[in-house]
Amino acid sequence: MNQANIETKSGTEPAVIVLEGVSFGYDPEHPILHDINVSIPQGQWLSIVGPNGCGKSTLVKLLNALLPKSAGLISVCGHTLQEETIQSIRQCIGMVFQNPDNQFIGQTVEEDILFGLEGLCLPYEEMKERLDYYTGKLGIDHLLSKHPGELSGGQKQRVAIASILAMKPGIVIFDEASSMLDEGSRDELMGILRDMQAEGSYTILLITHDADEILASDRVLALHGGSIAADVSPAELFRDAELLERCHLREPYTWRLARELQSRGITVDVPASEKELIDTLWPYNYSK
Amino acid sequence: MNERLLLGRSIDTGSWVHKLDPRSKITGMLLYVAIILLSTSWMAMGLLAVFSLLVMATTRIPLKYFIKAAKPLRYLMLFIFIVQALSVKSGDVLWSLGSFSLYEGGLRLGAFSVIRMLFLLTFTALLTFTTTPGKLNQGLEGVLAPFKKLGLSPDRITLMISIALRFIPTILDEAQIILKAQASRGADLKELPLKEKARMLVSLLVPVIASAFRRAQDLVYSMEARGFRMDAPRSRYHRLRWGAADTLFVAMFIALGIAVALL
Repeated sequence: MNQANIETKSGTEPAVIVLEGVSFGYDPEHPILHDINVSIPQGQWLSIVGPNGCGKSTLVKLLNALLPKSAGLISVCGHTLQEETIQSIRQCIGMVFQNPDNQFIGQTVEEDILFGLEGLCLPYEEMKERLDYYTGKLGIDHLLSKHPGELSGGQKQRVAIASILAMKPGIVIFDEASSMLDEGSRDELMGILRDMQAEGSYTILLITHDADEILASDRVLALHGGSIAADVSPAELFRDAELLERCHLREPYTWRLARELQSRGITVDVPASEKELIDTLWPYNYSK
Repeated sequence: MNERLLLGRSIDTGSWVHKLDPRSKITGMLLYVAIILLSTSWMAMGLLAVFSLLVMATTRIPLKYFIKAAKPLRYLMLFIFIVQALSVKSGDVLWSLGSFSLYEGGLRLGAFSVIRMLFLLTFTALLTFTTTPGKLNQGLEGVLAPFKKLGLSPDRITLMISIALRFIPTILDEAQIILKAQASRGADLKELPLKEKARMLVSLLVPVIASAFRRAQDLVYSMEARGFRMDAPRSRYHRLRWGAADTLFVAMFIALGIAVALL
């Protein structure tokens, strides 16, 4: 199989996901995805963006063999996707879906997290260790006996993430996982994503429409009409007004604020984060 | 907490019944159903009542929860009583009006049917109140295991039950939201005549069923993404252990059965 090496800011990393000439559609006349070619290195945070119906969710579901076979080659963690490798690939990839309610299988938080672990046929001690570690890490250890109906949206999404991380996948896909959450829960999710990125052991694929989430990622894959419209860095995406328009996206708040300040004669660079903007503005305020 | 969430929910009081192996509770329950159906005298019904109340008391779960569990079927019980009382014509005539007569046998059988249903409902509630759904499923899997040889798949049955219990409150909540959405557009179910109510129920069922299918699709994705395969081997975090208390629990029901048969 094609195990490409890709240069990243941390050096040359092997590709954990390779798609070559991938096309998919229920009706061959109207493909949902058309000739997708992309390699994703280990440890990268890739945002997948694009307008509704452009094939983002279809693309990630193909990686996990949740949809019927597609044309082209899909390779995940060194396994070329075919009937015999589906289970190995599913052990490499974890998916967090949009609606936390619909992915809750167990009657309690504990049962839900154990669902995947029991499927891996792990011994009791290993399950206990993972359950304790990941519920503690995501701050849901006090919710183990709770029914999904008793949890907030953010708590449910944290349970979904814990149940995925406990299976120790190398790749975690978030399919618009923050779109049904309130602001506080979104911030929580961003915190978890940043921690996962800092840990370096996860390759993150994030389907999102949120400018701040895109800005935090390493790379952006923009889809339009089932094809790759751009494969760029977040900064390149936000500098390209036409691409933003095609992807139905807006610049991050900090970028818009910086532009507004620039139009009023205040010299300030386009910041990478809120903190960077504050650091730039702080001395300016004192020099007045 | 939402009352609907009581469906299939356990109430943990840490009593001895809670600690029993779910297989012994299911076996006891099956024996209890057989005993109820075999009981045909007031003495037997009295003995069953005393036995049931004693077991319920030892669970330390307040009686009001058991009453709540039986309450939704009160009209069905009343209907069964009336039908039995009016259709059975045995024993002495207690009261008559023209060609219509009320017989002692009809009243007795009507009362027995209601009492049997009450016992059944409260004891089923006892099983679900004292056992978490997960353990109940494991117990059911254990009890059904011998039927594997006949081609039955206990895993499939318990998975179906587990998912149904998990989604009942969610789908009920969704139905409520759709009802409110319809009411906000002037179609309040409460204020409509019966015929209109029936017509409106169709417009409620269609979106609820469509949504249930959507949820089912998402759930399948979630299960498959976590590597789930039907009938594939799985390890167990909570293992079932049959102890002396379980044997004693089942023996209690056997003794009750013998006592009822002797009465």
